[in-house]
Amino acid sequence: MKFVDEFRDAELGRAVAGEILASVEPGRHYKVMEVCGGHTHSIYKYGVDDLLPANVELVHGPGCPVCVIPMGRVDDGIAVAREPGVIFTCFGDMMRVPGSEGSLLEAKARGADIRMVYSPLDALRIAKANPERQVVFFAIGFETTAPSTALTLKRAKAEGVANFSVMCSHVTIVPPLRALLDSPDLRLDGFIGPGHVCTVVGARPFDFIPADYDRPVVIAGFEPLDILQAIQMILRQLDDDRCEVENQYKRVVPHEGNQRALEVMAEVFELRPHFEWRGLGFISHSGLKLSDAYADWDAELRFSVPGVRVADPKACQCGEVLKGVIKPWECKVFGTACTPERPIGTCMVSSEGACAAYYNFGRFAREREVV
Amino acid sequence: MISSHHPAPACGSDHCITCGDEGVPMRVTRIDEERRLALCAARDGATSTVEVELVAPVALGDSLLVHAGVALVHLTHEEVAA
Repeated sequence: MKFVDEFRDAELGRAVAGEILASVEPGRHYKVMEVCGGHTHSIYKYGVDDLLPANVELVHGPGCPVCVIPMGRVDDGIAVAREPGVIFTCFGDMMRVPGSEGSLLEAKARGADIRMVYSPLDALRIAKANPERQVVFFAIGFETTAPSTALTLKRAKAEGVANFSVMCSHVTIVPPLRALLDSPDLRLDGFIGPGHVCTVVGARPFDFIPADYDRPVVIAGFEPLDILQAIQMILRQLDDDRCEVENQYKRVVPHEGNQRALEVMAEVFELRPHFEWRGLGFISHSGLKLSDAYADWDAELRFSVPGVRVADPKACQCGEVLKGVIKPWECKVFGTACTPERPIGTCMVSSEGACAAYYNFGRFAREREVV
Repeated sequence: MISSHHPAPACGSDHCITCGDEGVPMRVTRIDEERRLALCAARDGATSTVEVELVAPVALGDSLLVHAGVALVHLTHEEVAA
């Protein structure tokens, strides 16, 4: 398949891995963070980390949309879903994220009308088909997904769909990266940039990483060779004593992003002063809410939302996993009390979550190593 | 009116492509210019209605990267076979 098979070519992969091995300094330990959960998934699925030298460590970042949703936010969603006459809609993985009293899927089993959608536009269609019901869309995701919510709200406004509203939990990727770079817990040598977020925001928002923190960034695609080449480009920058934002994913990501998408987002959303991230705490200007022009479609203004902060379960170490401080298998409940079937933490919910990706793929390689 | 026939890959119980920030390469097969919508086909033949406002204008046969029902970018180097 064109532009897929070439990027999964095992021989080419081994050749790039050989070049990486030849380029690393033996006494140096390299820590590279892949920001996006899509990369984490590919790394484990294709065994990319098995091809790397032992002194090149991949650290899994906070870029999994469901993994960063705090428990209190899930509880808020369930409270709205239980309101009489409400049809509550959300993406598939979001249904399984645990709140303090269960997930949306469990609330559905107890009788709430909660439906899975692929796009917010599907939620709008449900609203138009059910004018006597209130239809709420639980919006999550980074800048890749936010334009879809924004366009849906523009359409709802233009068509006067009054029984539709959005509970906005969209987040932006730059503030948590800055928080991680400011954290004393973690020393990173470079970043694999989130390819699909960059189709919207472009490369420029990541300029602060080389400028303020002297770390290279390489925006990368999601095939195994994309990731290997991005690692090679980061190591090359370190070797050359260079530090800049490079774009490995030029076949998809334009340097300037999608200006129209950014304009639509600027019209529909505004930054919240603070937003709580699972495991990372409150981060300033990291979450989006609806702008005043779209207040009539804001579910948080239309319904009574508890907005109570709920502490993560004590046994769960998603916070440390999201910050790259520990590996998934180092969590006390990994693979025992916490599995994809019955997740305690969000990182075990989505297949892009580091714990679920490792549980599904990586643990077999580790078992081989241990044996 | 454009409608979906074989729904494009969606959020199954084991993997949600929208939560996963995935982009699906799709080819434009029909266009509703007035509503800024297009019927698009993925590589496996699955089709869905896609909002194309952010990448307009589009032409029949164009390849687009689609996420959550919205086309985010033209794939100028990519061919999505029917």
